[in-house]
Amino acid sequence: MADGTRTLLVGDGPLADGLHDGLLDRGHLVAQVVPVRTDDGTDVGTGIGTGIGLIGRPELVVHVPTVPARAVALIDQSTQQWVEACEAPMAEAFAVVRACRAYLSDRARLVWVVPTVAMGGAAGFVGFAAAAEGIRALAKSTARQWGADGLTTAVLAVAPELVLPAESGAGALVPTLAGPALGRSGDAFGDIAPLLDLLADPSARFMTGTTLVADGGVWMAP
Amino acid sequence: MSPGPASGSRLLEGRVVLVTGGASGLGLGMATAMAAHGAAVVLACRRPEIGEPAAAVLREAGHDVRCVRCDVTSADDIGASVEATVTAHGRLDCMVHNAIAPTGGPTRIQDVSQDHWDAMVATTIRATFDGARAAHPHLRDSGGSMILMTSAAGMEGSTHLPVYAMVKAAQRTLAKGLAAEWGADSIRVNCIAPVADTAAMQRAYMENPDLRERLLERTPLGRIGNPLDDVGPVAVFLASDMARFITGQTLCVDGGGFLGL
Repeated sequence: MADGTRTLLVGDGPLADGLHDGLLDRGHLVAQVVPVRTDDGTDVGTGIGTGIGLIGRPELVVHVPTVPARAVALIDQSTQQWVEACEAPMAEAFAVVRACRAYLSDRARLVWVVPTVAMGGAAGFVGFAAAAEGIRALAKSTARQWGADGLTTAVLAVAPELVLPAESGAGALVPTLAGPALGRSGDAFGDIAPLLDLLADPSARFMTGTTLVADGGVWMAP
Repeated sequence: MSPGPASGSRLLEGRVVLVTGGASGLGLGMATAMAAHGAAVVLACRRPEIGEPAAAVLREAGHDVRCVRCDVTSADDIGASVEATVTAHGRLDCMVHNAIAPTGGPTRIQDVSQDHWDAMVATTIRATFDGARAAHPHLRDSGGSMILMTSAAGMEGSTHLPVYAMVKAAQRTLAKGLAAEWGADSIRVNCIAPVADTAAMQRAYMENPDLRERLLERTPLGRIGNPLDDVGPVAVFLASDMARFITGQTLCVDGGGFLGL
């Protein structure tokens, strides 16, 4: 339990909102920053500066990348749809890391929350799944570069249903011969926020760059 | 150049292959191996002054190889390359997207320039998107395949090249997603994660002096690969019917350097 942990949460939508409420419930001091799309890309720097002004130097930074509005086959996508689905979430993740770097407290943790389709790909969400895997690589590279400074990273890979639009059929995106071992896909408030709390705890600080899969037991590949 | 396979064992006879970044290095190694297995090969390259002579050498060796100018940061160029290939040969059986902008030297995350980010994204994932859209109808007609290049850096992260690691990771999952979308069209999509001595690799050694030593230390086979003799045959295999039930996969062609899959 990391009571009073200063947490900067970057993201919008039901998953980010559920994490916000769950972290508050567990005693975190949370500032939630909503990325703003501009003609030049995504602006997170302004919001991060404001959020840090509210809570002080964050001990935990959580990024929930912006997801595309709906499933579209790659060959039916416009370039703009591709950019929004794939390139923008990657750029957003990179911008979060860079904007936070100067303000991170000693031994801070950065965590990205992405769907498990990062590892397996997804029809209809080819670009976003690819972006999510790119973000997993960012978590690893960041861990390698900044580990000497005591900073750590992690990825929480959650069920696609928690991340992607409800009408997209996200539950069928991870091919499996059976449903979740635990019988459900989980929820942000009660299942995922506690894991962020765990990752923020100093007792977890020897774990970095890794991916924790929290999908109720669907994706069990190494 | 290695001798081609014996007559009758040519795995790509009658097939047509388009290779981006095909004028040198890995691209030329794969293109040469595929041509030696009977494929008609089109080298799509940004600098025809390099690609044309390379194609001429292969033609002199008896292979069916031509060069088209293609800057993969241009969707129009990629589309024109695909169309030129189909116009010349009547079909497209395999597209290999190998081109990538120079990776540069070791870079801290906080020091990455916008130009570097843009070049990495444009030549990898955006070019794959553009290439996939252009090639899809022709690959569907032929029941063909697409090959993307990835890297162990995309699987284990990179201390020195964080953006390269990101885009190479994205390429790998992009291949999986395309494999899922295109399976019904009998199109296969796979990745190769190579480590091979190329001019680009030589530049990387100069910018990162202990890189070669570190690569060798972790490579069980004790050497760096060769684009033609080590990586080329894997491209031939993935493009051939031998691999007809393989899709969405990554083959590491690195002497065992990365064992994390």
